[in-house]
Amino acid sequence: MERDAGVRIDRRRFLQALAAVGVATACGPAAAPSATPSGSGTAVAKPVSIEWWRRNYTPGSQTAETVTSDGAVKGFRARNANYTITIQGGPFGPETDQKFDIAILQQKAGPDVFHTTGGDVLKYAAAGQLSEPPLSAAEKSDFNASALTATTYRGKVVAYPLWIVPWFEYINLDLFKERGVTPPKDGNWTYEEFLDAAKKLTFKRADGKQIYGFAHANDEFAFMLIDGGRLYDTAVKTWTFNSAEAVSGLERWVALAKEKVMPPDFLTLNPNDSQARFISGEIAILQRPSAMINVLNADAKWKYGTNWDIANFPKGKTAQTAWGGVGFIAVREQADADKKTAAHVFAKYLTGPDIGPDLKAMTPPIEYWLAPAARTSAAGIYGEYHPAKAKVAKMGSFTYVLPNVSTWSEIDQKYLRPARDAALEGKKTAKQALDEVAPTAQKLLDEANK
Amino acid sequence: MRAALRRHGWSYLFVLPTFSLFVIFTLLPVVQAFVLSLQSARITGGDWVGLANFVTLAEDPVFRQALGNTVLYSALVVAAQLTLALVVASLIQPLGRQGQTFYRALFYLPLVNSAILVAMVWRWIFNPNPYGLANTVLGALGFDPLLWIGSSDQALAAVILSAVLTIPGGGVVLYSAAMGSLPRELYEAAEVEGAGPLTKWWYITVPLLKPTTLYLLVIYTILAFQVFERVYVMTNGGGPNNATITIVQLVYSTAFQFGRYGLASAMAVVLFLMAVGVAVVQFRSLRSDVEY
Repeated sequence: MERDAGVRIDRRRFLQALAAVGVATACGPAAAPSATPSGSGTAVAKPVSIEWWRRNYTPGSQTAETVTSDGAVKGFRARNANYTITIQGGPFGPETDQKFDIAILQQKAGPDVFHTTGGDVLKYAAAGQLSEPPLSAAEKSDFNASALTATTYRGKVVAYPLWIVPWFEYINLDLFKERGVTPPKDGNWTYEEFLDAAKKLTFKRADGKQIYGFAHANDEFAFMLIDGGRLYDTAVKTWTFNSAEAVSGLERWVALAKEKVMPPDFLTLNPNDSQARFISGEIAILQRPSAMINVLNADAKWKYGTNWDIANFPKGKTAQTAWGGVGFIAVREQADADKKTAAHVFAKYLTGPDIGPDLKAMTPPIEYWLAPAARTSAAGIYGEYHPAKAKVAKMGSFTYVLPNVSTWSEIDQKYLRPARDAALEGKKTAKQALDEVAPTAQKLLDEANK
Repeated sequence: MRAALRRHGWSYLFVLPTFSLFVIFTLLPVVQAFVLSLQSARITGGDWVGLANFVTLAEDPVFRQALGNTVLYSALVVAAQLTLALVVASLIQPLGRQGQTFYRALFYLPLVNSAILVAMVWRWIFNPNPYGLANTVLGALGFDPLLWIGSSDQALAAVILSAVLTIPGGGVVLYSAAMGSLPRELYEAAEVEGAGPLTKWWYITVPLLKPTTLYLLVIYTILAFQVFERVYVMTNGGGPNNATITIVQLVYSTAFQFGRYGLASAMAVVLFLMAVGVAVVQFRSLRSDVEY
């Protein structure tokens, strides 16, 4: 009786066991002879499916995000056949941001791994929805320090820095030649040299066409950095963008407006229009991020080094600086340990040194890195894509990465931009405009730090 | 209740699907907006804060600017559109039936265009560069170009002008239809008394069109209060120095860009109360007992 009680298997349990064996057999590899003797202890990789959410991914399209994402999945699957990855897209913009928020913050579901930026990292980390990357000390030291700081929440790294997107100056060499202006040597120039060039490059042709020396797409505050101005103190606790250095930087920007070297619609110029007008030869120097290199390369008539080149931000009173942003890959916190592990393996691949060469080796080759990598071991390949990119790859070291503050978009859009506009229009002095913003900005910064 | 049920019986059942949709998709969201306006709601939830959001709005200079811009835009655009619709409808009224139909269709057709496309065209018209259409016209007339949407002084005027210069096709059609049903005897009697065309228009047509005017006034005011895409496309959502920011634009950015759903709901409630208040005043001042 005792023996019966120990080993008795009823019919239901027997059928369950049989079914389990059947499922395992069906899901397992085909019955090929194995080189490894059974029972040797080698683990058979478990199949896991994960979901990757990528903005601007549209299946079948040729957008950079689509092509690189499809390539990334293919490259990853070649190394990790047991993982299946489904990509879900959505256009850039608030609607997709809200889709992310609802899924991650409200439903605590959605992507296993996803691209994200700035304030979102903090928002999701604060809600406990990000899984901490298992990075070794060596891996951590491989990342750009400021990029890693931008992904740190309450002392913990909460996402993988992907790339640093620097802004710099694109210059139209044809216009420089036409006006007899010498391009900056090795891309380096002081603010005074830059202003002088912009003035000479602002002219009207005999046919009545007006050319402007300089334009920006109204999407950054680069000039306010060049004399040492910074938005916050190093602890990101105090708003410092009304310091003497920031005021001085804004005054330099205002000088460009006063000299009328920018087109009259410079306050409402959007990125696409500014790029189109640079390409049409209406603007001699345009401030845009690294992604525009591919736009210019797509035009066969425009040759790098002959028709266009890139240069650093004009240098002010302090060391060379640049404005830039950081992209991140994040893994969502969840109960399913297999999915979470797979998501981390994939996130490491997306931000690591293997993906660039993997995609470059594909037919046709795919440029994975749309901006310089935030990891030293992955940084080399970006410069291999194009000589202009080789120059850009070096900019990461002096790029000011905007620290993550969850209320930044409110500070920026509602208060800082209008204040900047008032100064650029000459309605307020630079100091007056920045001083007026400071109390509200500090309040919103305090709120973000709560 | 019982009597009503006995009297109308099954008819309530037929109304039920529409009524349910109205409750789910219209009434509940409005109620929810009121509830959210009393909370510090964000995507993850929020706490009950009473009227704090409304106090924040009262102290916020950007909201006050949006409020002022919305009121100014609405007052000028509604007045211009009503006048324009009335005048255009009056001008096509004497034409034959075919002529009337042609012009009604002509003025109504642009309404089927996407509002975004129309706003993009106006953005090009008021481009501050010399090649903007408005500046080209000014140049041809010997004037210096203006900055239009590129200046905080002129951007709101450009946005208002873009709305004023668009003939309100819907208003033209409604006025035109209403004019067709006005009693001829009144005009004949006036002619016997020696009234000219302008006198007849002012003393007979305009007063008898009061019900149509009231309807258009309320509808146009609500639409003007809700102006969004024109501002968003023409001036990148607020223009230089927030010169063209309106309440709905601010609701959009506050909710979907800054994630402050409670504050955005409070703005929506203010807009709702404004619309209701103005509509009540309009009804009281323009309601008419005239029947014809």
